[in-house]
Amino acid sequence: MPVPTDKALDGFGRYAGPATLILASLADGTKHGYALTKDIESFAGVRVAPGTLYEALARLQARGLIEPVESDDRRRPYRLTEVGAATLQAQLDAQRRVADVGLRRLAQGWGLA
Amino acid sequence: MSGPRERAAGLLRWYPRAWRARYGEEFTELLLADLAERPRSAARTADVIRGGFVARLADAGLCGCAPQVPELARAQARAGLASIACCAAVFLGVGGAIWSQLVIGWQWSAPATAGTVVATFVMTGTVLVLALLTLLAALPVAWTVATRFAAGRARSLAVPSALFLAGLVIMVVGGRHFGNGWPGTGGHPWARTGLVPGGVAAFCWACTLSVSSFWAHPAALAAFPAAELTWMALSPIALASLVAGAATAVRRAELSPALLRLEGRLAIAACVTMAVFLGAGCAWLAGRTTPPGSPFRPGAIDVAGLAVMALALGVACQAARLSRRCPA
Repeated sequence: MPVPTDKALDGFGRYAGPATLILASLADGTKHGYALTKDIESFAGVRVAPGTLYEALARLQARGLIEPVESDDRRRPYRLTEVGAATLQAQLDAQRRVADVGLRRLAQGWGLA
Repeated sequence: MSGPRERAAGLLRWYPRAWRARYGEEFTELLLADLAERPRSAARTADVIRGGFVARLADAGLCGCAPQVPELARAQARAGLASIACCAAVFLGVGGAIWSQLVIGWQWSAPATAGTVVATFVMTGTVLVLALLTLLAALPVAWTVATRFAAGRARSLAVPSALFLAGLVIMVVGGRHFGNGWPGTGGHPWARTGLVPGGVAAFCWACTLSVSSFWAHPAALAAFPAAELTWMALSPIALASLVAGAATAVRRAELSPALLRLEGRLAIAACVTMAVFLGAGCAWLAGRTTPPGSPFRPGAIDVAGLAVMALALGVACQAARLSRRCPA
């Protein structure tokens, strides 16, 4: 039975954060490991270390959220699958709900916009 | 000083062979790019070592998320079953030594405490159940391996099968030889009132002879006959060969999803049975009122043995939990 998209990262543990970053990075096209690292660093300000990146990639691939692209390059690119795109959507929706609530409460309680 | 490629190759060795075959090339490229940007980074080394450790646990079916890709899920289930087989072998190796000590003691006299009586009965029952479960689990695997040999598609199974058979022959022949040579069965008032046949108890004792506190007493060990010492050193290697062969065969035999689910259920039943055995062992250990000199009195080796069994059971339970996730 397929895992619901809002539960697709269950069991990722400490790799759930890097997994979401990888999915977000792949949302605009295929990338190999080094390109993923640089892209994530540019939009999230964090550098995902090689061991962490590949553990997250392996788990995402096992869950069918990303897939490798055939390539002659030694640096194999990956792309998002449809399930991966739906999972990313669910993850970002959940994060947006948290952000909305947090920002609203900051505005009400602390006067911060 | 080694170059970046050598350093990347060195870091890659932290990962298991299957992982290296799958990701090695691209991971090396990433490491080379990272090394060019940050020639020295203890954090990167630590991250790769941790990643390699996690990958090795995943390769053994002991961690990781539930794969949704059927091929990967079946591979994880097979890896988990292989790990359970290894854990069960460790458990039975140590547990067999404790159990044979008790049932051989019963060849000589009745246990002094009710706790020891109950513990020995429970352990005997669980040993029987575990033997039955092992047989039920082994037969389908043996059949699958045999049919692959018959079809000429068993090249990858030749070495594990040879390892398994060599270990099995050595354990059976050696166990029977040293079991038959044991002088403690027969010829005394309790000889026919034991809980299990004396031959069975002696065979189990002989097979687990290496699980002994004598290793900590070299002077006493030196007085042992050379043949017995050789067997004490050789039997663990033979047992390891048997288990490694069986575990590798399970990983390579391409068992069907239905068979994997059956093996998974048998593994869970084995874990429950081992837990009961361990509980009985702990109950026996807790009843330390047995008089000194009694064959039923637990020693330090038994405490250490139960700790090893608890660890093996914990690992087996984790593998059984993860290997249940094989998709239909």
